[in-house]
Amino acid sequence: MTWGPSFMYYICPNCGKKFKYALDMIPEFGDDYGKCPVCGTMGTYEKDGARTKDDADYEEVDE
Amino acid sequence: MAKKTIITVACTGAWPKKENNPNVPMTPAEIAEDVYDCWQAGAAIAHLHMRDDEGNGTMSADKFRETVNLLRTNHPDCDIILNLTTSGDLNATDETRQIHLKELRPEMGSYDCGSMNWLNSGLFINSPKFLEELGHNMQEWGVKPEIEAFDPGMIANAAYYLKKGVLKAPLHFQFCMGCANGIPGSMKNLIFMKETMESLCPGSTWSCFGVGKSALEMTYGAIALGGHIRVGMEDNVMYAKGVLADSNRQFVERAARLIREYGNEVATPDEAREILGLK
Repeated sequence: MTWGPSFMYYICPNCGKKFKYALDMIPEFGDDYGKCPVCGTMGTYEKDGARTKDDADYEEVDE
Repeated sequence: MAKKTIITVACTGAWPKKENNPNVPMTPAEIAEDVYDCWQAGAAIAHLHMRDDEGNGTMSADKFRETVNLLRTNHPDCDIILNLTTSGDLNATDETRQIHLKELRPEMGSYDCGSMNWLNSGLFINSPKFLEELGHNMQEWGVKPEIEAFDPGMIANAAYYLKKGVLKAPLHFQFCMGCANGIPGSMKNLIFMKETMESLCPGSTWSCFGVGKSALEMTYGAIALGGHIRVGMEDNVMYAKGVLADSNRQFVERAARLIREYGNEVATPDEAREILGLK
């Protein structure tokens, strides 16, 4: 049994951008994990888990 | 002679729903048709989960029976190897997790070789008592375990059960890469899993998959390292970044393409039986 990729969901306290990072991206992003892809501010953690119902509202940051 | 690579399709799983991807097969009829479609595209093994009428994972023997009967009745030409899950519902009992194997006698069944935290929110429990009972029962019922290993410790656990007689060689492993709380999906980690298996359980066969970003990397890695492949919407509802999968067949077709382009051949179900010692 698997459960697909798991994400951490954030909202940017500066610009309001909603975004998410997959847990398997922790090694690639290091200290930048959780930062807003628009303004670079560290996001405010909202929730985590497999793709939630409003998953599409959160931009996936992967590069 | 070209090496044969087995494609397993895990078409449903216990987690993704239509809201995640409208093409995930959920009902027995949808799953049976999906399996047939994937078999035609080159899948030799179908790893099956069931859903209840609300779409949640279930270990209902009725659902398994209905699906298997639909496949066998509507598509008697389909000789795909059936691999039924024993872990389709976190609230299932030790009994309901295996009763369908006893009744339906599939050629394979999953065997999750250890416990772990599930999505940082629950427990995925595979107690020593359950694993010992399941291992002995699978031997008695003629069901080959597919050892799902989410981390190297689960391979070590399989070696213990091998020595104890709970499992019987040759083992077949499914390396589950990139699941939350399991080993991350990377080539370095895949090589480590393979080498751990070779030192602890020599002579075993293996397959792997990656969830999310590591999906394709693990597919390429499996082919290059001489393993086998699992694909499907249980593990990934996205075909590529930002692109929902059209079908499980789409994943199988890509896997078959990659296998052939590498110079290997896609194993038929009978060839897979030979490789896995099923006959």
